[in-house]
Amino acid sequence: MTDRRETWLFLLPGLALLVLGFVLPITRMLVLSVQGPDGFTTDQFARFFQDGFYPSILWRTVYLSAIITAVCAVIGFPLSYIMARSGPRVRLWLVIMVILPLMTSVVVRTFGWMVLLGRNGLIASTLRDFDLVGRSFQLMHTETAILLGMVQVLLPFMVLSLLGVIVRLDPRLEEAARTMGCSFLQTMRMVVLPLAAPGLLAGSILVFTLSASSFVTPALLGGPRIEVLAGSIYKNVTQTLDWNFAAAQAVILFAGIALLLVPYLRLGRRAHG
Amino acid sequence: MTATARLALTATLCAFAAPALAQEITINSFGGAYEEAHRKCVIDPFTAETGAKVNIVTAYSADAFAQLRAQKDAPQYDVIHFSGGQEIVGASEGLLLPVTEEMVPSLADLYDFAKAGVANGEGPAYQIAAVGLVVAADKVPSEPTKWADLMKPEYAEHLVLTNITNGYGMIGLLMLNQIAGGSGDDIQPGLDAVSQLLDAGAVVVSTSPEIQAEFAQNDAWIAPYASDYAFTLKKAGLDVKFIQGEEGTPASFITANLVAGRDNVELASKFIDKSLSPDAQACFSEALRYTPTNSKTVLTDEVAADVVYGADAAKGLMRFDPRVIEANRSAWTEAFAKTIAR
Repeated sequence: MTDRRETWLFLLPGLALLVLGFVLPITRMLVLSVQGPDGFTTDQFARFFQDGFYPSILWRTVYLSAIITAVCAVIGFPLSYIMARSGPRVRLWLVIMVILPLMTSVVVRTFGWMVLLGRNGLIASTLRDFDLVGRSFQLMHTETAILLGMVQVLLPFMVLSLLGVIVRLDPRLEEAARTMGCSFLQTMRMVVLPLAAPGLLAGSILVFTLSASSFVTPALLGGPRIEVLAGSIYKNVTQTLDWNFAAAQAVILFAGIALLLVPYLRLGRRAHG
Repeated sequence: MTATARLALTATLCAFAAPALAQEITINSFGGAYEEAHRKCVIDPFTAETGAKVNIVTAYSADAFAQLRAQKDAPQYDVIHFSGGQEIVGASEGLLLPVTEEMVPSLADLYDFAKAGVANGEGPAYQIAAVGLVVAADKVPSEPTKWADLMKPEYAEHLVLTNITNGYGMIGLLMLNQIAGGSGDDIQPGLDAVSQLLDAGAVVVSTSPEIQAEFAQNDAWIAPYASDYAFTLKKAGLDVKFIQGEEGTPASFITANLVAGRDNVELASKFIDKSLSPDAQACFSEALRYTPTNSKTVLTDEVAADVVYGADAAKGLMRFDPRVIEANRSAWTEAFAKTIAR
C-alpha cells in the first residue's frame, strides 16, 4: 500500500502541472473556439474555411514544418553518428557547438539572418556579382529564409535525441556487419538507422511540433506576406483581440498536428518492438 | 554605538524608508529608446519627487490593452499608455478611470485636442507622433513632397510599407486610402494601391527595427512612418529626413490612462500630471522628437524645427477616428493580410 501511495506522491507534481498548464488551458481554448455571442457556434471554423486564405496558411505551416523536420534529420543523423563515435572530449565540444545557437536570444539570431539574407546581404550581393540575379533579389521574406532560420534553431533537438540513442548502440554490431560484407553505407542503412529509429522519431516529433508552433522566426524572416498559422493566431490574440477566432485556429493547428502525430506514434511503437 | 543610538538610527531610517516602501505603481512603456526617455523625463523625476517606486512592464499598446482586458477583475497596471487609440474602447468598457483637473492640475494647460476625450473617461494625450514620409535624403533622386508621390513608379523598388498591425502602418494605409479616394467606410482603394505598389517591388515589414534594417542594408528610400522614428534613424547614423506630405499630417496620440479598480489612484494621478508637465514634455521632444501637448512647453529652436510646435501648427494635424479604426481593425487586418499574401 505504501508503495502505491509513494507512486502517487511522485506523480502528483507532474500531474498537477499537466492539469493546470495543459488540460485546463486546452479545454478553455476548445470552449472559446465554439463560443459566440449567442452560445454555441461553428462560425469561427466556417470563417477559417470560407476562402483559400487560411487553409493556405495551414498548408504552408504543415509543409514547412515537414521540410524543416526532414532537413534536420538529414543533417542531424550523420552529425550525431560522428558525435557518438568520437572520443568524449571531441563529443563534448561538438555538443557545445550544436547547442550554442540556443544560448542567444531568438531575435538576435534572427536579425543575424536578416543581415545575411537581405537585398545587400552577403548571399544576394555575391549572386549579383556573378550576374545570376536581378538588383532587387533577396532571400529575406521567402520560405527559404524561414527554413534556414528554423533549421538552425531546431537542429539541436534532433541531434540530442539521436545522440542519446546512437551512443548506446554496440559498435560491435557495425563491426559484425562490416565483416559480413556490408559497405559503410550499407551498415548505416541496415544496422545503425533502424536501431536509431526511436531517436529519429523522438527528434522528428520535437522538431515538427516546435516548428509548427513557432512564430517569431517565421514572422521576422518570412515577413508579413508569408504567414504561418502560429503567427496568425498571435496576431488575432494580441492585435485584433479576436480570441474566439484565434482559439478556432489553435484548435485546427492542434488537431492537424495530432492527426499527423498519431500514425507517427504508431510507427514509434513498432520501432520499439 | 549604544543600544539607544542604534534604536534611534533604526527609527530614523524607518521614517524615511517607510513611505517609499509602501508606495509603488505599475505602468507600461514601449521599450527601447522610448522607455529610456520615459525613464529620464518622467519616471526618474517622479520617483525623486515622491519617493515612489515605478514598476515598468514593456508592452506595446495592443499587447498592453489585451492584458488590461484579460486582467479586468484584477488589474495589474496603475497607469497604462496607449498610442493606437485603445483608450477609447477601454473607457467605453469601463476599464479606465476618468481624470479631472483636481486630480491632474496640468490638464488645464493642455491644448484642447489633447484632452478632447477626457470627459468620456479617456486619458489625456501627453505626446503626438506625426506620420509623414521618412526619406533617405542621400539616396533618393528627387524628394517626394506629397503622399501621392508614393505611387510614382521610380520609387516602388525602394519603398517600405508597414503592416497595419503596427499603429503607424495603419495610419499610413488610411492616408494612402484617402488619397486614392477611399474613406473610413471603404478602404478598398487603399488596399488596391498597396497591391499595386507591392507588384512594382515595394516591401512590407511589421516592426520598426525592420524599417531601420531596410534603410541601413537594403537600399530603402522612402517609408511612410513617424517623425520620432525618423529621428531614431538619424541618431543611428543614417541620413534621413522627415517630410510632411502636402495633403496633411495624420497623427497618433499617445495617452496616459488611469486604470480602474486600483487602490493608489492619487499616486497614479500624480504620475499622469508629471507626464503632462512642460518639463517632461520638453525633455521628451528633446530626446525623441515627439510633439508636445502642453501649451506651456518651451522648446529650443533646433528641437522645434523637427516637431509640430505651437498652437497654430498643431491645428494642422489630423487624426483618423480611432473609433472607426477600432470598429474595423479586425476586418481590415484580415483584408490587408489577404491583400499582401503571396
